[in-house]
Amino acid sequence: MLVVPCPNCGPRNASEFRYAGEYRPRPHPSQDVTDDEWATYLYTRSNTLGVHTEWWFHTSGCGLWFLAERHTKTNAFVKSYLWGAT
Amino acid sequence: MWHDRPLKDGYDVVIIGGGAHGLACAHYLAKEHGVTDVAVLDKSYIGSGGSGRNTAIVRSNYLTPEGVRFYDESVKLYEQLAAELEFNVMFSQRGHLTLAHTDGAVRTMRRRAEVNRLQGVDSRLVFPDELAHICPQLDLSEHPRYPIMAALYHPPGGIIRHDAVVWGFANHADRRGVHIHQQTEVTGVDVRDGKVRGVETSRGYVAAETVLNATAGWGSTIAAMAGLELPIATAPLQACVTEPLKPFLDVVVVSGSLHVYVSQSSRGELVMGASVDPFGSYSMNSSLDFVEGLAGHVLELFPFLSKVRILRQWAGLCEMPPDFSPLMGFTPVEGFLLDVGWGTYGFKASPICGKTMAELIATNTTPDLIYPFRLSRFAEFDLVGEKGAASVGH
Amino acid sequence: MSDPTPTRLPERPGEIIDRTRQVSFTFNGEIYPAHPGDTIASALSAAGVRTFSRSFKYHRPRGLLCGAGHCPNCLVQVGDEPNVRSCQRAVEQDMDVNPQNAWPSLDQDVMSLAGLGDRFMPVGFYYKTFMKPSQLWPHYEQALRNAAGLGVVDQGTPWGAYDKQYLHGDVAVIGGGPSGISAALEAAEAGANVLLFDNGPQLGGHLRWRSDSDDTSRKDLLEKVQSARIEVYTDTDVLGWYQDNWLAAVRGDRLFKARAKAIVFATGTIEVPTLFDNNDLPGILLGSAVQRLLNLYGVAPGRRVVVVTANRHGWDLAADLLAAGVELAAIVDERRTRDHPASVDLAAAGVPIYNGSALTGARGRKAVSAAVISEIDDSGNPIGPGRVLSCDTIALSTGWEPALDLLYTAGGKSVYQENRAEMSVDPVPDGLYVAGSANGADLLQARVEDGRVAGRLAAAHLELTEPPPQQELDKLALELSKEERRTSDRISAPDGKKRFVCFCEDVTDVDVDTAIAEGYDSVELLKRYSTISMGPCQGKMCSVNALRLCSRIKGQSVQETGRTTSRPPTTPVYLGVLAGQNMEPVQVSSIHDWHLDRGASMMVAGLWLRPEHYGDATAEVNNVRNRVGLIDVSPLGKFQLTGPGAPDLLERLYINQWRNLRKGRVRYGVMCNDEGVVLDDGVCARVDDDTWYLSTTSTGAGTAFQWIQWWLQSGWGGNVHLTDMTEIYSAFNLAGPHSREVLRKLTKRDLGNKAFPYMRIRRTRVAGVSCRVWRIGFTGELSYEIHVPSSAGLHVWEALMEAGGEFGIAPFGVEAQRVLRLEKGHLIVGQDTDAMSDPLGADMAWAVKLEKPDFLGKRSLERISVDGPHQRLVGFEMTRKHIVPEEGLQIVKPQENGKLNIIGWISSSRFSPTLKKSIGLCWLPSDIGSEPGATFTIYQDGRLEEARVHHGPFFDPGGERLKS
Repeated sequence: MLVVPCPNCGPRNASEFRYAGEYRPRPHPSQDVTDDEWATYLYTRSNTLGVHTEWWFHTSGCGLWFLAERHTKTNAFVKSYLWGAT
Repeated sequence: MWHDRPLKDGYDVVIIGGGAHGLACAHYLAKEHGVTDVAVLDKSYIGSGGSGRNTAIVRSNYLTPEGVRFYDESVKLYEQLAAELEFNVMFSQRGHLTLAHTDGAVRTMRRRAEVNRLQGVDSRLVFPDELAHICPQLDLSEHPRYPIMAALYHPPGGIIRHDAVVWGFANHADRRGVHIHQQTEVTGVDVRDGKVRGVETSRGYVAAETVLNATAGWGSTIAAMAGLELPIATAPLQACVTEPLKPFLDVVVVSGSLHVYVSQSSRGELVMGASVDPFGSYSMNSSLDFVEGLAGHVLELFPFLSKVRILRQWAGLCEMPPDFSPLMGFTPVEGFLLDVGWGTYGFKASPICGKTMAELIATNTTPDLIYPFRLSRFAEFDLVGEKGAASVGH
Repeated sequence: MSDPTPTRLPERPGEIIDRTRQVSFTFNGEIYPAHPGDTIASALSAAGVRTFSRSFKYHRPRGLLCGAGHCPNCLVQVGDEPNVRSCQRAVEQDMDVNPQNAWPSLDQDVMSLAGLGDRFMPVGFYYKTFMKPSQLWPHYEQALRNAAGLGVVDQGTPWGAYDKQYLHGDVAVIGGGPSGISAALEAAEAGANVLLFDNGPQLGGHLRWRSDSDDTSRKDLLEKVQSARIEVYTDTDVLGWYQDNWLAAVRGDRLFKARAKAIVFATGTIEVPTLFDNNDLPGILLGSAVQRLLNLYGVAPGRRVVVVTANRHGWDLAADLLAAGVELAAIVDERRTRDHPASVDLAAAGVPIYNGSALTGARGRKAVSAAVISEIDDSGNPIGPGRVLSCDTIALSTGWEPALDLLYTAGGKSVYQENRAEMSVDPVPDGLYVAGSANGADLLQARVEDGRVAGRLAAAHLELTEPPPQQELDKLALELSKEERRTSDRISAPDGKKRFVCFCEDVTDVDVDTAIAEGYDSVELLKRYSTISMGPCQGKMCSVNALRLCSRIKGQSVQETGRTTSRPPTTPVYLGVLAGQNMEPVQVSSIHDWHLDRGASMMVAGLWLRPEHYGDATAEVNNVRNRVGLIDVSPLGKFQLTGPGAPDLLERLYINQWRNLRKGRVRYGVMCNDEGVVLDDGVCARVDDDTWYLSTTSTGAGTAFQWIQWWLQSGWGGNVHLTDMTEIYSAFNLAGPHSREVLRKLTKRDLGNKAFPYMRIRRTRVAGVSCRVWRIGFTGELSYEIHVPSSAGLHVWEALMEAGGEFGIAPFGVEAQRVLRLEKGHLIVGQDTDAMSDPLGADMAWAVKLEKPDFLGKRSLERISVDGPHQRLVGFEMTRKHIVPEEGLQIVKPQENGKLNIIGWISSSRFSPTLKKSIGLCWLPSDIGSEPGATFTIYQDGRLEEARVHHGPFFDPGGERLKS
């Protein structure tokens, strides 16, 4: 079982977490977001074969939402951090 | 069967991915459209991807009229495939049951059954008294958590020998002059002035003005070589088999709430699977969590299997699109075509997918049957409604 | 009476059977004796039984082969359990053991006709046959299906008592032979907590049954293990290595799981058979199987044995047999040298010895009656006419395959060592170590030393000690490289004889040859086409021979040929063990038992069990409409937001407006995602300036909590805190015209319409308990939703029931609530909406405040609002008032050609007892749905039923009862 590094709790079994997909910054939905840009935000994913940034939630733990950089082939984590940090 | 041939420096059509989809497309291109200057490239051996890793269930009891129409054509082609390919693909229409454990699931199953019937697909809701006859092995006793309230019964659904489908298509495509190049990995897609010109491979450059991306799992990776990002996310899907047992289970049994499907193969093994892994990955490592969860859910339905042993587990890659429907056809890059985003339901579409993509390539026009699955639907906010049945269903 | 155990020998040193006691069991209907400690296979062998099973495809008789739990030959049915490895299962009194895949009997199997003469089914037979005429395929298929499988499932088998245990250790050592023990000792000495796993009943590995070691070395090692801080798990199979060193192991009915920091793979070797004509006959055993029989169970494999070998192990075996008094027909050694210490004694005893010779075939009908041997040239090819040796047993000791499957799944890359004719792993991933026989060490001292070094390296990986100095590693490597080769790579060219490569699937070398010629020329394709290595042994017996054969046929090296991917589990494992206990928890409310006592019929709702009804849902509806009812709505999601930032967050989470909501007031709210799809709905109250309290759907509560947290923790959470109150509060809805009178009896608060009007929330003491009381009404009646601390839930519920007695109060369930809400035209998220529904279509356009600067779904809903939704959720009534169309039915538009086009569907429908007619909600194209009274057609069971669009509530459209 994958070990997920929670920035609060440290390394924990993946079964404690919910994975919530690739990180996609949300454009402010003001008028100047085109339909194309909005559709890209909603649906398009880089689906990287390599290190990408993703969301995790520590469901059976501290309740933290955090970002992690993980290699999608080896599943090795590079780092994890709170939203707004890097 | 098929032959090793020299890799030419150009083809009319290059198909990336030697799975059931790519090979079916090559077969129908050659057979129905006389297009034979075709190369099918695979980075490993043919059928090494999703085609050889799925649980070989074929059915057409989808939720949306467009989904049902498409898969019904696929079932019809599968029924004729052994004769067409002169290769026994062992299509075994044993019937397919999708169990409903909640009243909400009963409602969804009825919705599917009604859509199916109106599209001429044999599919109906059955209740425990009839279920006891269709699948007497099911534990229909009182369950606090997962009572079996009803099931969607789809008699034409069944199982098939997945590898045989791959080999049958490969054999026929080869016979008509298609080149099948195994151990040939595409490392780049040559796009100039918005048009595809060829592909870079581990064995050199191959020119082509039509390139089909039929690479379940790596669809985004190949598309990125052509400068495209796709609305798909890759996730592993796992499965396992038990040791061979004397036949006792005739139908395919699926439970959406329990995320499990079970069938007994012609060899006597129970073939079992679940929903995609809880996190996205390109890793094809098996996990213990998967077999632990699966075993619990299988025993919930069939407690008497507790002393049956799991023999082997494996994983394949799936591409999950936002609306549970594939991405087929044209892209903004001229000549670069898609056959990706097949979620957990790609294998069952192989023949019809090959046939319609061949037609698209030969006529440069999208066949009506696959128009709903075009890539541009996302930018047009015209998604397919298959997600309405959001639950596992293989 | 004849001797029931003709091949049981006098007592052997080191044997593990208890000769002072006897048990009996049945095999194939006959009673057999055994001693405690015997396996089924050893007891049957002692009785002279040769045939244990029939093979998978050709139903050929098969007998004990590997004796190590790897091969399929000794699989039997034990009572209700199929596919039991009889060489591993201890005999128990009255055990009912039966052969598998034999009909009508083990001795006379009619299916074995399939293999008569040379008429084997060629590889790929099924793919090329039974296609024409196609209408007959189902019949062929049924016949093929009936012939499939091995053991039988008993549908009376219970789930059983399985459980799971987590183990904790720093270093896991897999394999308790001399190298594993040494590794464990070394790591423990360095300070590591060690888990030591072995699949045998005792530690010691081959020292238990092989005579190349003196008993003292084993005793010495075992004593040291006992004194060290090592957790020992015997009879334990390590099933798999999973991501991040997550190990699974099984002992009996228990699954172990452990996360190791470093792992030593001291997994030993597997002896493998060779290819020769009729190599599957009963009476042909691997040398290690014979040694186990002899030395663990005191059983002779037969009466006259030919030992076939290519290494020292065969000579050790021959010496054992000689010492045990078993007749040796010959020793046949591929090698030309004869330097084994036992060779002198064996020669002196008159045992014929054939050097530079190999076994080319076996003869016999149901079991071996003779071995055919031949001299071989330097390439291993037979020369000369050969020689026939009469015997009843052939012991094969010609080669070993390191047991590396576990290490391969852990990421180890296989490298074929041509000089040793064995696989090795290089590189071995970081933190993993391979030791002992699995690492190519063969002599005992080398195994011990190799284990010690691996243990030290594992401890050094944990930074408990320094790694061994390089010169020590070099010295060990040099010693290993000087070891005598123990494995022969001799393989004959396919020539039409019956040489089985794969015993599980009955695949011969001719099949392999044919498959390669047909184009299935990579190992993976070959595996899938011929099914080689896909059976119960998972390639343990056949993989290496298949590779050698494949490379010989293709004229390439074994390394170039490659190997198929190893997959877990390394040993087949019960579904029961993986499942563990039957645990599917359900959530129940604080008054669950009360519901059960009142005969409630319970239903599953998400994770919860809820009363569906208490016997008569229609009566419950009528009681709410006419008197007063009480429903347990505890599963509702209940969340509290505190802090000045709450309104900002709510404005963004909901499509509605919140900032202007005044203290004490309540508003209905809808949450969407950014696609504009409806996620959840509920009510939200401003309890005081900085405290907001909201409810969500029952089934969506968990998701909603995570959803709100997500946005709160990614930029929208300034000055606000979210608390999940779902389980802290129980919630009851008191509904009906008498509800005020009931509640008034339990509270001092003024419940008058002025003091406590509709859509308000009040902190209220009810039956002495401080509650949050909402005046809201899903049912359309005057009603109060009482949120009470769960600890006092039952008290308040009972107080309400008692207070309501004089007004005719009765509990009502989910079914009555559904009817009541439908009469009011209220939708249920998840039933009337699905994962594609937007609020504009779902009749909630009034709630969508597009003028807000930002909220989840805004951009998507703006786009939809331009043209309006394509589909609309609206009410309907049936033209034939008593017809209730089932939920899920489709709405159709008949075409001129008679075809029925689907245009919508029924999401809710019930017969309204209040209105005495059938009503419902459905999705329709906007043009039809927008027009009240418009008719449309429902397809019901082959009939077409007419219905009419209805807008708004069906009952009390003005809402007077709610506000009364």
